[in-house]
Amino acid sequence: MDMFAKIAWVIPLLPLASFLILTALGRSYRTAGVWIGSIGSLGAFVMSLLVLLERLKPNPVDYSNGFDWITIGDYTLTIGYEVTNLTSLMLVIVTLVGFLVNVYSAGYMKEDERITVFYGYVSLFTFSMLGLVLSDNLLSFYLFWELVGVCSFLLIGFWYARPAAKAAAKKAFIVTRIGDAGLFLAILLLFWYMPEHALGFTMIESVFDNQGGTITEGITTLIALLIFLGAVGKSGQFPLHVWLPDAMEGPTPISALIHAATMVAAGVFLVARTFDIFEASEAAMQTVAYVGAFTAIFAATIALAQNDLKRVLAYSTVSQLGYMMLALGLGSLAGGIFHLFTHAFFKALLFLAAGSVIHAAHTQDVREMGGLGSRMKTTAWTFAIGALALSGIPPLSGFWSKDLILAVALEENLLLFAVALAAAFCTALYMTRLFVLVFLGKPKQAEERTAGAKESPAVMTIPLIVLAALAVAAGFVETPWNGWFGHWLTDGAGEAHGSAIAIVCSVAVGVLGVLAGWAIWGRERGAGEAAATLAGRAPGLVRLAERKYYIDEAYEAVFVRGLRGIGAVLEAFDRYVVGGAVKLAGLAANAAGRLALRLQNGQVQTYSLAAVLGIIVIVLAVIGRRMLS
Amino acid sequence: MLPSYLTLAAILFCIGLYGALAKRNAIIVLLSLELMLNAVNLNLVAFSKYGVVPALTGQIFSIFTITVAAAEAAVGVAILIALFRARGTVDVHAFDRMRR
Amino acid sequence: MFNVDITGELVAFFAFAAIIIGGSVLMISLEKVVHMVISMAAAFLGLAGMYVLLDAEFVAFVQVLIYAGAVSILMIFGIMMTKHGGGDGQPARPLYEALVAVGALCLFGLFFYAIRTTEFPDAAPSAAVAEDNTMAIGELLFSGYIVPFELLSVLLTVAFIGAIALAKKGAD
Repeated sequence: MDMFAKIAWVIPLLPLASFLILTALGRSYRTAGVWIGSIGSLGAFVMSLLVLLERLKPNPVDYSNGFDWITIGDYTLTIGYEVTNLTSLMLVIVTLVGFLVNVYSAGYMKEDERITVFYGYVSLFTFSMLGLVLSDNLLSFYLFWELVGVCSFLLIGFWYARPAAKAAAKKAFIVTRIGDAGLFLAILLLFWYMPEHALGFTMIESVFDNQGGTITEGITTLIALLIFLGAVGKSGQFPLHVWLPDAMEGPTPISALIHAATMVAAGVFLVARTFDIFEASEAAMQTVAYVGAFTAIFAATIALAQNDLKRVLAYSTVSQLGYMMLALGLGSLAGGIFHLFTHAFFKALLFLAAGSVIHAAHTQDVREMGGLGSRMKTTAWTFAIGALALSGIPPLSGFWSKDLILAVALEENLLLFAVALAAAFCTALYMTRLFVLVFLGKPKQAEERTAGAKESPAVMTIPLIVLAALAVAAGFVETPWNGWFGHWLTDGAGEAHGSAIAIVCSVAVGVLGVLAGWAIWGRERGAGEAAATLAGRAPGLVRLAERKYYIDEAYEAVFVRGLRGIGAVLEAFDRYVVGGAVKLAGLAANAAGRLALRLQNGQVQTYSLAAVLGIIVIVLAVIGRRMLS
Repeated sequence: MLPSYLTLAAILFCIGLYGALAKRNAIIVLLSLELMLNAVNLNLVAFSKYGVVPALTGQIFSIFTITVAAAEAAVGVAILIALFRARGTVDVHAFDRMRR
Repeated sequence: MFNVDITGELVAFFAFAAIIIGGSVLMISLEKVVHMVISMAAAFLGLAGMYVLLDAEFVAFVQVLIYAGAVSILMIFGIMMTKHGGGDGQPARPLYEALVAVGALCLFGLFFYAIRTTEFPDAAPSAAVAEDNTMAIGELLFSGYIVPFELLSVLLTVAFIGAIALAKKGAD
């Protein structure tokens, strides 16, 4: 019956095996690295697909299994895996994108001498991500959560010879650490308050599901907010979004896999997995919704003014993650996960297409590109599909998921609906800008550099085509007329939606955005000219967006400087007080050593004297004790 | 009378200890050791007469001790002579190989 | 202790004690090595007298034979076979010797304290011990203590051979 769910534990082990083999092989087996990494992820994908297909049968039963890991006194810590509809869907997303990225990297990373190491890292990441998805309790979830963070760190800093990559890797690690600390505190609190210290997701669900349980509302809100802090860090929500754009210093396939499709979605996944805690606290839900909405509009406006191809996409990712959070905060689990599902495909597609462009043009600055459409037809078409899907043009997948979120927002909160609409408009605008600047118009590069810009090899374009097909088709699992996806995911509690207003608004802003973008940047005008016109009209605003609202500068001024100041004080304390004490201890030990050295003079007589004196001391001590008592 | 004998033995023992630890001539160190052994013998014989259960055991013990001491003295002097051949001195200060 | 009658035993005890302590102190403080050995021999003889006083004539006899005779002669031979530059006079390390003296005095203090505080029950000297006991010792040695006695003979033989081997090694 549940045959594939029962052996779901094999899925993460396949990439782990690839990682171990690749690590053992070393750097010399270049092609072997590609094959082993790809086969491992393909195997994982096939198995995940089988698990998902099994779940598609009517009334699937959640399957979980595990074993005792550590027993401390009465408390037993179990480790195990759980297959639900949500996890099986995530499994397929992760393994599919992972497999396509593996294939794509064979072309993209061909020239890199550390390609085997790269594949090893990717396999390790896939393993950790799958483990995270399959975990049946928060503790092992947290372990894998940290592990994906480590992989992200390793892969952002993959080209560690570049100072920017090193700095970005450190920044990503440290900023997400703030969120991780929140998640850890939440786990500790849960451990403290849960009956029998249980941390399993099923237990959490049953405890928080019935209101007025053992845990008070204040604590529930606190736990939910701390969990959300972890999600904010991982999913790049405001105010911890600063690491995600910088993470684009890593190889582009990594940006597609980790920083667009899977790992950053882990935050959304975490909220979805512990959704019952959030549902038990109104304040937490509000926070999630408002932070998500703010992030969506905030990042979308930044994306308008960025000139680095990958950074635009990165801010777009932040914005779309904000959408998912908004949906979750509004209580629509299906909306958030549906958007995660479609976004994974079209954003991975966009990143991989961008990687193809960068591969060909050897630059990331959109101002230096242009006219690439005629040379790279496949890339241009697939990128266009991805951009339209992201912009929410029907009938592409992005439209359906965004529409679902907008419909929910319209029902729940008009303010958030307006914000979401504005963000959708900005999204269409910047995607049009990006497409126009990169693929249309005249080449702006020098002749000798553009001469090399040709279509990427098939190993890179085929994943693009596959993803493009998915970006077109993935949306049809949930339409305003057919709530199958939401019904399946939330186990019967299908959400009624299908507001005509929402559809009209959504299509209108999408089309308007595209048209406005065309009006500003299209029409064969030079990009510099258009930007100049815009900058001429609202110089302050453009500059503000271009500088990312000075968030990085503010953090630099407030946190980095402040911490440096504390660091200087601590260093002085360390050097003079602790160091002095250490030196004193050293000197004392030295002096004692010299004294002992004089005793150790090789003379039997001295040794005997020491023995005699020792005996005297012992006897005196015994006598003294006897006299005292 | 027993405490007097024991005190005398203690005095002898401590003089022997001082000689064994402070003297630099190895022969004198050996002699001091003999003195300490003699102090022990005196105790044994004194207890043999004035102990709680007077018995000949103490005397027999002291005879054994004297025998062992004689053997010890013979071997000690032999070692001394061997050492003297090797080092050319009997000053115990010269014998500090244990430092290394 | 100070209110005891002045008996012959007491007088003899003090006389022998004076000889013994005097001999051993001289042994420590004399300059020449040969003089030291001779003063030591005097102390050994005094101890033999002490044994007689304790009704241990056989032990006293052995003491004279082995200590005053054999060991002293052995030491004198040892002195003759090694060189003595008379260099024991100057104390090269006064602190160390003071420390040894303090240690020895402390130890004596402990002994003295222990002897003073211990209650020694008076037991009447039994006739068996007081009699001429050489015969009894001989009987005991060859009956009850035959095993240690034989072991001692082995020990003596081993020591004898070992001493010869050690002393002879570098000679040829």
